[in-house]
Amino acid sequence: MSTKNDILSNIRRHTGQTYDMPVIEPAAIQYPDAVARFAEVIKSVGGSAIELQEGEDINERIISLYPEAATIASNLPGIRIATINPDEVETPHQLNGTALAVVQGEVGVAENGCVWIPQNVKEKAVYFIAEYLIILLDKNKIVSNMHEAYRKIRFNDNGFGVFISGPSKTADIEQALVVGAHGAKGVVVLLTT
Amino acid sequence: MNAKHSEAAARFIQNRALEEWHNETLFLVRKKRDSQAITLPEWEQLRQLASQIKMHTITHLDKYLEQFALRAEANGAIVHWAKDAREHNEIIHALLRERQVGKLVKSKSMLTEECHLNPYLISKGIEVVESDLGERILQLMNKPPSHIVMPAIHIKRQEVGKLFEEKLHTEKGNSHPDYLAHAARLHLRNEFLTAAAALTGANFGVAATGDVVVCTNEGNADMGTSFPKLHIVSMGIEKVTPDYQALSVFIRLLARSATGQPATAYTSHYRKPRKGCEMHIILVDNGRSDIIGNPDHIQALKCIRCAACMNTCPVYRRSGGYSYTYFIPGPIGINLGMLKSPGEYAGNVSACSLCYSCNNVCPAQIDLADQIYKWRQQLDSLGKADRTKKLISGGLKYIFTRPGLYNTALRLAPIINKSPRFLIYNNLDAWGKGRELPAFAKESFTQMWKKGKIKQHP
Ligand code: SF4
Repeated sequence: MSTKNDILSNIRRHTGQTYDMPVIEPAAIQYPDAVARFAEVIKSVGGSAIELQEGEDINERIISLYPEAATIASNLPGIRIATINPDEVETPHQLNGTALAVVQGEVGVAENGCVWIPQNVKEKAVYFIAEYLIILLDKNKIVSNMHEAYRKIRFNDNGFGVFISGPSKTADIEQALVVGAHGAKGVVVLLTT
Repeated sequence: MNAKHSEAAARFIQNRALEEWHNETLFLVRKKRDSQAITLPEWEQLRQLASQIKMHTITHLDKYLEQFALRAEANGAIVHWAKDAREHNEIIHALLRERQVGKLVKSKSMLTEECHLNPYLISKGIEVVESDLGERILQLMNKPPSHIVMPAIHIKRQEVGKLFEEKLHTEKGNSHPDYLAHAARLHLRNEFLTAAAALTGANFGVAATGDVVVCTNEGNADMGTSFPKLHIVSMGIEKVTPDYQALSVFIRLLARSATGQPATAYTSHYRKPRKGCEMHIILVDNGRSDIIGNPDHIQALKCIRCAACMNTCPVYRRSGGYSYTYFIPGPIGINLGMLKSPGEYAGNVSACSLCYSCNNVCPAQIDLADQIYKWRQQLDSLGKADRTKKLISGGLKYIFTRPGLYNTALRLAPIINKSPRFLIYNNLDAWGKGRELPAFAKESFTQMWKKGKIKQHP
């Protein structure tokens, strides 16, 4: 407690001239076709965005994308092909070895390919530990820029959320880009309506 | 230690090939930053907003810190305050000891580097595993980072290959980055699953919500925090930001400035501890609150640690991170080092050509070069002025203030084109070894003007 007071009083003692908070309303970029821009950007960061066609079965589509995925983790009601329900594991460690995870995204951002995912599973590990990740996203929920996205994002009771923009990557060895550092080696955003 | 930057730089540039590669690679990153910046017409407006938000926050820091701590605790986190590195390290050690943690997995944090946390914990018998690939490579090599975003930028793939052969038992002679990164993935996956605690830094702390925001490309912070019961966050007090609208400005600038990406792969918001787990946030001062009272250097607190100023700096690119004595190199490191201890780090202020490129790329519009200039003016009073440099600049001043002499000196300048190299690149010129002089023009502008060779446009 005393350290806290020391730090705060040192801050107060040293604060001289103060500055006002600016009005944060930049003329932020708007894309005429935010969905197309989103798809373009996500491709540039090593992922892809695919629109689900009218009447197309989502499970079949996923199988056609990842025919070899032996373990599929999902808690989404429509995903019949799931082999593990991440809500039912006792420890997150049990998710190790997951080939594919299918999760729900809530907001897409055209300027940088980010998708907001509020933790809606028991263990957030599922977003990171799967070899490949499919994010379902309603394409009407794609906004142009981060200012809009930050007005829209919500948390649920789990108190964790993440913007994911493409697969995990590193360039730490001689700046050579390697996809699949610790998280997913591939990310597909399946756009639904 | 007060080694001159130029002496350490001389060691770096002995390896010409590495120096060339380092220079070109970092400039490429700088150019990637530019190509991202031009995709946003509002880019300069964002930089200005970032600067204004930071100035506001830094000068109302008590209020925002209290708000942040209150919100974080309401969310279920536990907030600690650390005056200095020692308190920071002791708090962490106590948390680990009380829970009998044997192994801690870390994601990249320059603050823990600043506090020398790793050697401290290791001395207490705790196993510390860095999980960012670059940091892990350096940890296995027992070397410090040479860049704040690309820590192992000075290491060649063959060295990593050799290291992994020895430590991770990879194939002999295989130094392909894909192969090595995959080996590291498997190795660190095991560490993530078996560590009893995770430590992350914080790119931002949001006062309005209590969120800790961590940006990574690898997903190592996310993997690290997904398994153990304890998550510790080390956060400098200047990292607090008022709300989401302020945060959105920084998030838009950070990755674009740092690596030329539109966003990092993961922008993670830690608001509450995982169910049944603990989250501890340590707010660290370690000299920051003093900087608020220093009008010449207060802007150093606006830094979001993107490293754009390093990537663009001609001196950094050609001399490498190890030629600076402070653990953060480049323009921001020169200033932070001087704020920490002028006596120890004054040798770095010469590592600047005052080209101002850093000022122009900094997403928070920090007056980096102006600050370096101010430090130089104070070197005399600090008793740190370089004798040879003083001699040279004293001589130049003598010439510049005497127009007649100045003109004679310029007329004689072309002679230098024919002078033996040892006369030009003598030991008085600390930078000559790394740089070629431009050829002097045969005639000075004044001579040409007088002979009517310069035509004015009608
Ligand atoms: S000083 Fe500016 S450019 Fe340098 S690391 Fe900090 S924010 Fe980035």
